[in-house]
Amino acid sequence: MPPIIEISGLRKTYSRAFRQPHNALDGLDLEVAAGQVHGFLGPNGSGKTTTLRALLGLIRVDGGTMRIFGEEVPQRLPEVVSRIGAVVESPQFFKHFSGRLTLQLLAESAGVSKARVEEVLEQVGLRDAAKASVKGYSLGMRQRLAVAQALLKQPQLLILDEPANGLDPAGIHHMRELLQWLAHSQGVTVVVSSHLLSEVQQLCDSMTIVSRGRRIVDGNVADIIAGHGESSLSVRFPDAASLPEAAEALVSASSGLEGPKAAVSAAIDRDRLVVKGAPEAAWVTRTLADAGIYLSELRTETKNLESVFLELTGTAPVPGQTVQIGESVVVPQAPSVPVSAGEVTVQVESEGAER
Amino acid sequence: MNLFKAELRRIARRRLTLVFGIIAAAGLLVLAAVFWFTSSKGPTEAELADAQAEADRLNEENYEYEECLDDEAYFETEEYSFIEGEPYYEDMTHDELCADMFGMWTAEDLIYTYTFDFAAESPLILIGVAIIAGLVMMMLASSLIGAEWSSGGMANLLLWHPNRMKVWGAKLGAAAAVCVAAVVVLMVLAFGLLYVIAAARGEVGDLDSGWWNENLEKFARAGVLSVGMTLLGASLAMLGRHTAISGGIIAGYLIVGDMLVRFAAMALEMAYPERLSLYTWVSAWIEGRVELFDWSDVSSEQADVMVITSSEAGLLLGGIVFLFAALATWAFKRRDVA
Repeated sequence: MPPIIEISGLRKTYSRAFRQPHNALDGLDLEVAAGQVHGFLGPNGSGKTTTLRALLGLIRVDGGTMRIFGEEVPQRLPEVVSRIGAVVESPQFFKHFSGRLTLQLLAESAGVSKARVEEVLEQVGLRDAAKASVKGYSLGMRQRLAVAQALLKQPQLLILDEPANGLDPAGIHHMRELLQWLAHSQGVTVVVSSHLLSEVQQLCDSMTIVSRGRRIVDGNVADIIAGHGESSLSVRFPDAASLPEAAEALVSASSGLEGPKAAVSAAIDRDRLVVKGAPEAAWVTRTLADAGIYLSELRTETKNLESVFLELTGTAPVPGQTVQIGESVVVPQAPSVPVSAGEVTVQVESEGAER
Repeated sequence: MNLFKAELRRIARRRLTLVFGIIAAAGLLVLAAVFWFTSSKGPTEAELADAQAEADRLNEENYEYEECLDDEAYFETEEYSFIEGEPYYEDMTHDELCADMFGMWTAEDLIYTYTFDFAAESPLILIGVAIIAGLVMMMLASSLIGAEWSSGGMANLLLWHPNRMKVWGAKLGAAAAVCVAAVVVLMVLAFGLLYVIAAARGEVGDLDSGWWNENLEKFARAGVLSVGMTLLGASLAMLGRHTAISGGIIAGYLIVGDMLVRFAAMALEMAYPERLSLYTWVSAWIEGRVELFDWSDVSSEQADVMVITSSEAGLLLGGIVFLFAALATWAFKRRDVA
């Protein structure tokens, strides 16, 4: 099945008076397969919202091609827009209108029935607040209204920019279930841009990470984490003075191992020892016990999406320093990193190129 | 069509529309009340008798006048010799001469009566109503576009209707349609109220075919002017993407700009400086023609005359509206939606 969204070499440059032009998008590529929840991640200023705006015809681009449902956009956007529901950036509405009237006006403008308005209000949990004017809505309620607006058309493609913004934990849980139900039961393709990485990890099937207007990696979420997720062991001792001795014991013992198992490292991190490359946890306890060192805690630390994201984007915090906007990694203009075989590698069939 | 109907509904449901509607209705009622209470068909017999009694009392206190009335030879002195041969006094009786020289109170002097003449006075009022309706609609149209931008509603709408020209056309069309409806409703209401007042407390006058031919054309041109103002307000708000920018430009021109243009014309000592003022062209559009006079040629007894016809005024005013509407269309089509 061809991708629902295909973006290739997208460029957008903002000219600025007396300053260097800013490349918001610098040859960005993106593919989203049908029926998935696809996460679109990147540090602040990496071009996520710019990409979504360009895709939806809100801004003009300086180069590249975009297709939705196989139709070139923005030229053919009017033909496919009835199949797309979208929320871009923070939801804003005319504050004196009620939630219901806001949806009714949009529905009326596109010939959507009034009954559908009531359905989506129920779906996003705004039924009882529908009569109140939007100015009294909390950020979370506005977010729900925005999602309701996107759902109104019963779209086949749902594009949501930060959908969990302002939602309470119950709201986030509800939104996650709703989006997964739409994707997996209703066949709706969902694209979610978010900074809540734990949320993306739970919600998305696949994802694309961008930095400085270019794609760093894309593929299945689990595969990306696995591909970059070397696990480590965190070891604590009753006496912190044992840390150098323990590190030395582990490194020395690793020399007796054969093959790839020999690359054991042990680094002191404040009051703990971080061990990487150990064949198994039992080897650590045995080695330390043989050396007469007894540990008080041993924990396996598996990398999560957040650590992978920070590593890939180069935005991991450094003590005493603040990562500034636009200081994420620069990706060379080359094919994206294939993290594994299977679903991760995306074929751009329409152009006959393989990434 | 769905989009146009939705835009009409959006305008109708806006709070500013309600506020302006209430203000317009209240304004009409105040206008009607002013004419109702100031106009009358004339004093009653009793009022006339009271006024006459008061006038008589005042005249009795005027000793010079009384003395003049009592003395038939009062003006046969050297002091009043100028009366002889003066055409103005030639046909006056002695009593009339006394009244003219020393004043004489009459009942009419003491009763103020104003009789509203519908046929003579209503055209100017109805044109004023149409122009004020146009000003109100200009503000409403500015707000309609400006608030859509500042509230983020425009971006939302474009996610549903990516064809920007269709969106802009629907918005302009809806604003113009509401303007036409508002002008027609207000003019009909004003016409009805004034007619009733004239029938009850004034004079209706002669509303013959000549009256209708002359004034219907003016009313129609005033309505077109109002629609033009509405389109101009919407276009300026689209260019500035904010209500305040449109309002600021319009208010700035009306308050300061026109004055500056006049000063510039005076400084340049140009002939017909009034032609630089938009008000002159608006008058020409409504009235059908305006004559401007230039007295700068002191050697001539006749002033040079410049005539501005409604066609010329229509071309200029329409050109201004078209220019801003075209700029707004271009900007909306080309500029990014932030």
